[in-house]
Amino acid sequence: MLFAGKKREARRVQEETGLYPLLHVSESLKEYQRMLVHQEVTSLWELRQVGASFSGVLENADHFQVKLENLDGSFTNISQTSEQFLQVKSAVAGSVEEAQGEMAALAQISAEVQQSFDAMRETFGQLQSAINAIQHCMDKIVSIADETNILAINASIEAARAGAAGRGFSVVAEQVKRLAEEIKILTGEVDAGVRDVESSAGQLNDRIGLSQQTLGQGVGIVEEANESFRKITEAADGAVTVQEDISGVITVSQQELQSIRQFFSQIKEQYQDVVKHIDSASRLGTTKSALFEDLDNMISQIPPLVRDIESQGKK
Amino acid sequence: MKQFFGMSQTGSLEEALRGLYQPQFIMLLSNEEQFERHVEELEKRCPGVPSIGCIGMCYQMGVVEHGVGVIAFCDGVAAAAGVLEHVSTMPVKYIQRLERNIQQVRGSSRDTVCIDFCTGNDACVLTTMNTVLRQHGISLVGGTGGEGRVSANGRVYQDAVVYGVVRNLGGCVKTYKENIYHQLGNYRFIASDTDRAKYILGSLNGKSAKQVYKSILHVTDEEILTRTFQNPFGKVNGDDTCIISIKDVQGGALACFRQVNDSDVLILLELGDYRAIVQDTIRQICREFPHRSAIFSVNCLFRYKLFSEQNYMQAYLRDMAALGNHAGFVGYGEHYNNRFVNQSMTCAVFE
Repeated sequence: MLFAGKKREARRVQEETGLYPLLHVSESLKEYQRMLVHQEVTSLWELRQVGASFSGVLENADHFQVKLENLDGSFTNISQTSEQFLQVKSAVAGSVEEAQGEMAALAQISAEVQQSFDAMRETFGQLQSAINAIQHCMDKIVSIADETNILAINASIEAARAGAAGRGFSVVAEQVKRLAEEIKILTGEVDAGVRDVESSAGQLNDRIGLSQQTLGQGVGIVEEANESFRKITEAADGAVTVQEDISGVITVSQQELQSIRQFFSQIKEQYQDVVKHIDSASRLGTTKSALFEDLDNMISQIPPLVRDIESQGKK
Repeated sequence: MKQFFGMSQTGSLEEALRGLYQPQFIMLLSNEEQFERHVEELEKRCPGVPSIGCIGMCYQMGVVEHGVGVIAFCDGVAAAAGVLEHVSTMPVKYIQRLERNIQQVRGSSRDTVCIDFCTGNDACVLTTMNTVLRQHGISLVGGTGGEGRVSANGRVYQDAVVYGVVRNLGGCVKTYKENIYHQLGNYRFIASDTDRAKYILGSLNGKSAKQVYKSILHVTDEEILTRTFQNPFGKVNGDDTCIISIKDVQGGALACFRQVNDSDVLILLELGDYRAIVQDTIRQICREFPHRSAIFSVNCLFRYKLFSEQNYMQAYLRDMAALGNHAGFVGYGEHYNNRFVNQSMTCAVFE
C-alpha cells in the first residue's frame, strides 16, 4: 500500500516536472505541419490547374484575336475588291465614252453622207431636167426632120412636075429627104441613148434612195446604241452606288471589329493580370515550401532535444 | 585583409603552411588518412587561432586532390570559430555558440560572413544557423565535407557543423551563388511521396519521379545517374532555383543529394553555356567590388568533374584568379545562406 502510494507520488512528480507535454506539443505541431503541407500540395495543384486553365483561355483569346485579324483582313480584301470593281466601272465608263465618241463621229459622217446624197438627188433632178430638155429638143428635131421630109417629098413631087428642070431639084430634095431620115435615125439613136441615161440615172437614183434609207436605219441604230450606252453608264453609276454602300458597310463592320478587338485586348490584359497574380501566388507557394522545410527542420529537433534534456535530468 | 593559400600534393602540412604568418582564421582541407593528424599539427603550429577543417579537395591555381591545403585570412580580420554538434538530430542545442561568436567578432551584415563545413543533414543545419544569422543579416557560404568528419579549433568532430564567423575590418563582404543551368522546357512539378531523411523523391505531379524523368529525357535507368550532369532538378524558391542532383534510382523513386519535401515545386534544368555564365559572374563581382582583397569559393564536386571532363577546370581557375586572390574547396553540397544546393558555386568576396 505504501509502495503503491510512493509510485503514484513519483508519477505525479514526473507528470508535473517532466517534458512529456513539450514532446506532445512537438508531435502535434509536426502533425499539423504535415496536414498543412498536404493542404499546400493540394493548393499548389489547384493553383497549377487554374494557371493551366488560364493559359488555355489566353491561348484561345490569342487564337480568337488571330481570327478577328483574319476577319479584318477579309474585310480589307472585300474593300479592295470593291475598289477594283470601281476601277472596272471606270474602265467601262471610259470604254462607253470612247464608243459614244466614235458613234458621234459615225453620226457626223452619216449626216455628211446624207447631205451628199441630198446633193446627188438635186444633181439627179437637174440631170433629169437636162434629159427632158434634150428629149424635148430631140422631139423638135424629129418634128423638124419630119417637116423637112414632108418638104422634101413635096419638093420631089414639085420637081417631078417640073420635069427635067426639076430633076436636079428632085435630087436635092431626095438628099434632103435622106438627110432628114438620117437625122431622124440619129435622133432616134440619141433619144435611145438619152433614155438609157435616163433609165440608168433612175436606177442610180433608186439605189441612192435605198442607200439613204439604209443610212437612215444606220442613224437609227446609232441612236439606239447611244441609248444603250447611256443605260450602261446609268447601270455602272448604279453599281458605284452599290459599291459605296458596300464600302460603307465594310467601314462600319471594321469599326465594330476594331471595338471587339479592343475589347479582347482589354480582356487579354485582364487575363494576363490574372495569370500574373497566379504566377505570383505560385511563386509565393514555392517560398512557402521552403518555409515548411524550415519549420520541419526546426520542429524535428524538438523530440531529440527533449529526450536529451530528460536523459541529462536522470543523470 | 589578405588571403593565404598553401598546399602540399603529398599531404605535408608543414609544406602547406610555409609562408603563413600571423593568421587570424584558418581553413584546413585535408584527406581521409591524415585529417586527424593535420588537425592536431595545425593547432600546435597555430595555437589559439580560430580554425575549421574538413576532408576535401581544395584549389587555387590548381586542384589538390589527395594532399592538404590551407586557406587562411590574415591582417584586418576578426574571426571566431565554433561547432554545432549532433547535427543529424538537434543542432539547435548548441545554437547559442553561434550567437556568442557573432557577438565576439561584432559581426554585421555589411562586413561579416559565416563560412561552414558540415558532415550532413545540411538543410536542417542551415535552417538552424539561419535562425541566428538572419537576425544579424549575416550571409553564409560553405559546403559539405567528406567522410563525416570536420574540425574546429584543433578538435575533430563527427556529426557536426563547424563554422567561422569572419569579419572584414577593411571593407564589405558579399556572397554569390552561381548556377550554370537553366530551365528545360516548361515542365513544373509538385513533389510528393518524399522521404526527407533519405532524400527520396517519390512522385512528380502524382506520377513516378523516375518515369517522369525518363519519359521527358528518353533515358534508361542506368543513364539517369550520369544524366544529372546535364539535367538535374531545380527546386523553385521564389525567384531563386536550388539545384538538386540525382544520386540513385530506387524502384519508381529517385534518391537525391539533397532532401526534397512534399509540396516542393521542382523544374527540370539543362546545362547552359557555363563559360559565358562564369564570365557573367566575374563581371558582376568586378562591377560590385572594384577593389577585392580575397575571394573564397565552394565548388560542387559535380562541377569539378564536369569542368575536368570538358578540360575547362584549369581555365576556370585562371579566370577566377583574374578576380584577385581566389581559393576554395570542392564540396559535396554547397551552402548559400539558408539554402542547401547541389552542382553550384557559392563564394564570399571580401573588399
